[in-house]
Amino acid sequence: MSRYMVNKFLWEVESDNESLASFKHDPAGFVADWELGAATPQPPYPAGGSLTAAERQACIAVDYAALYSMGAHPYLLWHFIRAVLVPDPMTVAELSEALKRAIAPLDRPDFTT
Amino acid sequence: MAEIVLTLGVPHTPLLWNLTKPPVPDDLAGVVAEYGRFRTMLAEVRPDAVVLVATDHFRQLMTANMPAFLIGKAPQMRGTHPNEEREFGIPPVTLSGDPDLARLVLGHHELPTGFDFSFSDEPWLDHAFVVPLLYLTPDLDVPVVPIYTNCNAPPLPSARRFADLGGYLRATINGSALDRRVAVIASGHLAYELGGPRQFLGESPDGEFDEHAVSWMAQGDLDGAVAGCGFDRLNDAGNLTFQFLNFITALASAGAQPATHAAGIACRFGNEPFFAWKQNRT
Repeated sequence: MSRYMVNKFLWEVESDNESLASFKHDPAGFVADWELGAATPQPPYPAGGSLTAAERQACIAVDYAALYSMGAHPYLLWHFIRAVLVPDPMTVAELSEALKRAIAPLDRPDFTT
Repeated sequence: MAEIVLTLGVPHTPLLWNLTKPPVPDDLAGVVAEYGRFRTMLAEVRPDAVVLVATDHFRQLMTANMPAFLIGKAPQMRGTHPNEEREFGIPPVTLSGDPDLARLVLGHHELPTGFDFSFSDEPWLDHAFVVPLLYLTPDLDVPVVPIYTNCNAPPLPSARRFADLGGYLRATINGSALDRRVAVIASGHLAYELGGPRQFLGESPDGEFDEHAVSWMAQGDLDGAVAGCGFDRLNDAGNLTFQFLNFITALASAGAQPATHAAGIACRFGNEPFFAWKQNRT
């Protein structure tokens, strides 16, 4: 469980238009490259990171219920899924309802960074 | 001599920017009217500079480095990040800073004994800063000293520290030798949730919190606000409600006086906060 790495992943995809397009085109390939990037760190901050198998799967599948239950930061999570899933295949309103349905049984996980 | 001539507390909900272009939807007319009143109020006090207390939403700052309180001391700075332009339609802007005022608050060779700020020579302001400025100073012609507060990445500074920050700003700015008429503007939320089960309800996720919150400001009840804004209470009100803490700084910077104007304006996003403290001095 590496909450920071999950948050960093969501952040890096959402905040850069090129990364976002690349992730949408090939999620698994993007994640593989992202993890590879951490092997050759460049100052001041290493790009990429490392994920557990469960985290990797959740990121590739955009499994927001899994990411939420892991304690991904709600703000980062929302903007990640909004950027990836809107407008294709769904609207903001549809995504919001889908997210709320999916996380309703999950209580409120600790998102302390 | 420097003095705080006006303190304001305003919302920054980024979706407002596109939605409040004419024709303004009925439910947002009240928000637009409040922003208009506050714009006039600000212009009337002819500020030389704005100290803007707001929270970066993981646009510039991430938890590789997360300061509790950070001052931007650059002479010029960027506003609006590419993902905010993409998602919210907020325009990229260039803003003037006020390095002398920033230095007054931050310190020169040593940090002041009252507060241990972090600082930035290249702040890049997100919508929490830019949206209030677009509404309140549409020409973006008033220099800005941004103070970033961490209301997003726990562990957060306590409510007491937000009050201390406001008291520190008041004590440091008022009466200093710098020739400035300063407006303090805090940017934040009442009860608000995003990325959680109570987002986009069409109303506040916690109307009871909002009533207390507006009342603390209206009555100048700084101790009540501090006591009522522990982490769990704010989280229960909605996972972005922590940004109400910026209004505690506003209240303290106004000497914990009752606000001359305090309202939560109901709209599709919940209750949008509008607080003002006019000073009696000229």
